[in-house]
Amino acid sequence: MELFFKNAYELSEMIRNKEISSRELTESVINRIEAVEDRVEAYTTLTKDNAIKTAIEIDNKIQRGESVAPLAGIPIGIKDNISTKGITTTCSSKMLENYIPPFNATVVDKISNAGMVITGKLNMDEFAMGSSTENSYFKKTKNPNDLSRIPGGSSGGSAASVAAGEAIVSLGSDTGGSIRQPASYCGVVGLKPTYGSVSRYGLVAFASSLDQIGPFGRCVKDVAMLQSVINGYDKMDSTSAYREYSNLSDNLKSDVKGLKIGMPKEYFGAGIDDNVKTAVYNAVKQLELKGAIVKEISLPSTDYALSAYYIISSAEASSNLARFDGVKYGYRTKDYDSLIDMYEKTRSEGFGDEVKRRIMLGTFVLSSGYYDAYYKRAKQIQKRITSEFISSFNDIDVIATPTVPSTAFKIGENTDDPLKMYSTDICTVTINIAGLPAISIPCGRDEKGLPIGLQLIGNKFSEQTLLDTAYSYEQLVGGFKMPAVL
Amino acid sequence: MNIDIKHIAKLSRLKIEDEKLEKFEKDMQGIIEMVEKLPAIDDELILDTSNPLILREDIARANKYTRGELLNNAPMVQAGCLVVPKTVE
Repeated sequence: MELFFKNAYELSEMIRNKEISSRELTESVINRIEAVEDRVEAYTTLTKDNAIKTAIEIDNKIQRGESVAPLAGIPIGIKDNISTKGITTTCSSKMLENYIPPFNATVVDKISNAGMVITGKLNMDEFAMGSSTENSYFKKTKNPNDLSRIPGGSSGGSAASVAAGEAIVSLGSDTGGSIRQPASYCGVVGLKPTYGSVSRYGLVAFASSLDQIGPFGRCVKDVAMLQSVINGYDKMDSTSAYREYSNLSDNLKSDVKGLKIGMPKEYFGAGIDDNVKTAVYNAVKQLELKGAIVKEISLPSTDYALSAYYIISSAEASSNLARFDGVKYGYRTKDYDSLIDMYEKTRSEGFGDEVKRRIMLGTFVLSSGYYDAYYKRAKQIQKRITSEFISSFNDIDVIATPTVPSTAFKIGENTDDPLKMYSTDICTVTINIAGLPAISIPCGRDEKGLPIGLQLIGNKFSEQTLLDTAYSYEQLVGGFKMPAVL
Repeated sequence: MNIDIKHIAKLSRLKIEDEKLEKFEKDMQGIIEMVEKLPAIDDELILDTSNPLILREDIARANKYTRGELLNNAPMVQAGCLVVPKTVE
């Protein structure tokens, strides 16, 4: 197998045993990018020279016998809404086309301190608003399983790059499913961590109470390793959770004996493809055969989740995106005759249609006379959804659902219908609303050969249980296979 | 409910081009109809205390960035200041 398709945990061993150098590995990934990027279009910015430089530094350290972190020398791609000092951070928006942050996000400092090699910035839906990466101002990323299809979104570049071998692992962000949904569509592993477990400092804010950075990988162990690098308390993020974070990959175990898995009937109703239902049932069945205890549960407020999600996230977005006014950074319109005129033209020319829709929805639900009927009700439903989840965890350890109701759709298929696009988030938004962790892992393919995702949801800070369950399934099926299309 | 797109756009400091107004109106109408279905619940909203906020101490510290670094991204700068259209007559 080519180096660029190997897993990070194997490569990490090889680098430290001096079987390969980080430079060889990094060059293998860069060559892969050069071979397939014109078809996949996962990256907005490539940082090849810096990547080679970092790889050589790590190699020198190892040659000198210095100790390095487990993921040292491993190439990683970063979603383009995570601030990288000296490297453009565009959020795939015209608004930030030339924006170069003067600082690193905390997660970027962490992966750099761990010696990881940054290959570049990854394409996304503009400001992380979207489910297909078609809302990028720059390019349309393709699904490596079928280049006529979307990779999902908003972290489409993060999922596609890992599936295509253009990165070994990557970072994305998840506000309503933006890590798990593209992971499902591309057939890779994606973890949305518990709210507060990964610092948001330096993540360009979309909906601050829901946003969370998380890892992508081709296997569960890689995701566990990367999550252990990026998690932890950070005083720069006031919502960061102050607690002990144990190493998730060292403790990874394949054992589901006695594990109680709940299957909420609301996630298997109309609107979920039969292919998807069958694959998810089969996956859970395999865990049951290995000793897990499976029972049906009910989360009755699920039906309201999508509405509550779009109200809360858009309300926060309308406030967060008020900062893009053409004054301090970002795009400014050419001709204007007053301050207000400059604001309006700058924002109208700098934002795409989906971002405008969300800002206007947020402005509407927060406006005088409508606040009680929309925002307040959404917050109350949020509380109800959260308590339903939390009480279900009195009886069970993990909840299993589909990640997405269907497999990846064609490019352009849903672009004219925002509601249809929003409905792909139906199984994932509840988790952000409740602040829980959830992971998506591949659990089969449909008749077109497109990947299907199994979503495992856990109680707050139960990442270890989720990863163990996912790892057990991965061992049962003999690992996940990447697409051979390219 | 009828949505006055021009008014909401104004509140949002956005301008919607005339040829796009109809599509925006239709889409927004659909979205509002979708989110309108929430029931009224009388549950009291209380703060989540399971993850208490840790506030930093209120101590003044020197900024670690230079003025130049921060102004590098500004669209228009003059004499170390951000330039905006005249706001006071």
